[in-house]
Amino acid sequence: MATAAAPRPMSEGEKMVIFASSLGTIFEWYDFYLFGVMSAIIAANFFSALDESTRNIFVLLAFAAGFAVRPFGALVFGRLGDMIGRKYTFLITILIMGLSTFLVAFLPTYKTAGIIAPIALIALRMFQGLALGGEYGGAATYVAEHAPHGRRGFYTSWIQTTATVGLMLALMVILGTRTYFGEKDFADWAWRIPYAMSGILLAISVWIRLKLNESPAFAKMKSEGKTSKAPLSESFGQWKNAKIVIFALLGLTAGQAVVWYGGQFYTLFFLQTFLRIDGPTANVLIAVSLILGTPFFVFFGAWSDKIGRKPIIMAGCLLAVLTYFPLFGALTTYGNPKLQQAIQKSPVTVVADAGSCNLILNLTGTAKFTTPCDLARVYLSNSGVNYDSVAQPGAVANVKVGDKSIASYDGAAPNAKDEKARFEKEVRAALNEAGYPAKADPIPVGSSNWLMLVLILTILVVYVTMVYGPVAAMLVEMFPTRIRYTSMSLPYHIGNGWFGGFLPAISFSIVAAQGNIYSGLWYPIIIAGMTFVIGMIMVKETKDVDIYAND
Amino acid sequence: MWKIAAGFLVFAGIALYMLSKGGDVDMSGNEHGSSTAEHAPAALAPASAPASASK
Repeated sequence: MATAAAPRPMSEGEKMVIFASSLGTIFEWYDFYLFGVMSAIIAANFFSALDESTRNIFVLLAFAAGFAVRPFGALVFGRLGDMIGRKYTFLITILIMGLSTFLVAFLPTYKTAGIIAPIALIALRMFQGLALGGEYGGAATYVAEHAPHGRRGFYTSWIQTTATVGLMLALMVILGTRTYFGEKDFADWAWRIPYAMSGILLAISVWIRLKLNESPAFAKMKSEGKTSKAPLSESFGQWKNAKIVIFALLGLTAGQAVVWYGGQFYTLFFLQTFLRIDGPTANVLIAVSLILGTPFFVFFGAWSDKIGRKPIIMAGCLLAVLTYFPLFGALTTYGNPKLQQAIQKSPVTVVADAGSCNLILNLTGTAKFTTPCDLARVYLSNSGVNYDSVAQPGAVANVKVGDKSIASYDGAAPNAKDEKARFEKEVRAALNEAGYPAKADPIPVGSSNWLMLVLILTILVVYVTMVYGPVAAMLVEMFPTRIRYTSMSLPYHIGNGWFGGFLPAISFSIVAAQGNIYSGLWYPIIIAGMTFVIGMIMVKETKDVDIYAND
Repeated sequence: MWKIAAGFLVFAGIALYMLSKGGDVDMSGNEHGSSTAEHAPAALAPASAPASASK
């Protein structure tokens, strides 16, 4: 059993390895986030002219391409990486990601090219999803295999900062372009510029990555003829390894993913949709918390080298389970105190026949709801209104605010549009009268409320860094070199792509069903709780593992 | 290490400055589904949804 190495300074070669891997991964995240941040413009240029069912299919595919497809990329490129090497595989992934992003800049819109345009766009987005599925496992494995024993957590933690940095970079480029060209030109054609810039980032990444050598562990394995001929069947076809993959998913990445999404994106959604805080204020609050929290990725990665990966990751999951409700409640207290008072003083109820109330699950934004009960609940949830559901057999769905009662409407009726306007106007008036604010009061930067919000949000980001900082090292350490890239990529992308990717839709669905604006937290809490239990029992500590022992 | 810290702070400062001036942008990345649907606002439809409900 190897002992912890005395911390020697990083060699130049090692710095290069970390720098090259991280930079490329930042650019991959930048490419990936471009699509999402500009989704409204993309939709306007490529999808909105389609008829509804076709549009829905494309929207579904765009969503699938970004998330559902990632584990397949993990399989394809994980296998390649274990067969031909890390260096070449993650050169391929960055080429695919960079080229597919770059090409979007030159795509004709639906207006010019008809149906070919959205088809081409979706194809490119699929390539992005596949490439991302291959990138992360490669970068983490590559860096880990260069790290001295006892420093793997610290070395790989730099990769863990890249998603956040990539997002910030995407935002800066988009905002910069939009400000420089103005809204109109940006919507017309300048939206292509951030995509085109990806070409430059690609050239830089490829140039840097070409200078790298193959990871010594893989090179040694190759020279000894010990590489795997069938990494997929070795990884998943043999129970000995497959069970570790399953534990890596359920006891590690599933919980990590929901805490990651909970702390990075669900908070933004919560601030805007439920607390009614305006976009720019919410964006800055989240950005500040991300900036303050980012150094902790490296801190916890490094600390995990001393005290272990499991304690930190499990503690992050447990803290999320125990404190999400009070922390999000505190967000309401400081973000929209009037809302909190109104919820306490004048509760809202939706009274309906339970039979007319369906599950509100809108995974991709294409679901349609038509019953009065569903429409009432969707409207209230989207307006951030906390409500209780009261079942009353035979009742026509209505919303009660204090003692005022407003009938809902049938979305399928011919006068639905007028009725919708009537309903929303009446509900809004009743809410206003009861003291429910339509928007949060402004929160000046530096005010005590603002500072408290930053504190709470930063705590949530610190949980993210606890579960994510050490996880790259841990995943690497769970598998032998010959099937490492394959075995670690899949649970990572199923966890983050599926458990995490579906968090917003599932959480919103729970809120819409329950009425309580905090009930969406049950999903990350349950998943993080599951990971805590399974992780504590079934996943072994790995920081002292000799990652070459089974080679 | 201090060079990285300094670089990050500069980067962060620029990002914050641009975000504070840049108006509304969907920072969530809306990677979880499009918000184009009218009747059923997707999980990440931000403040645009209740525009009709504002005072």
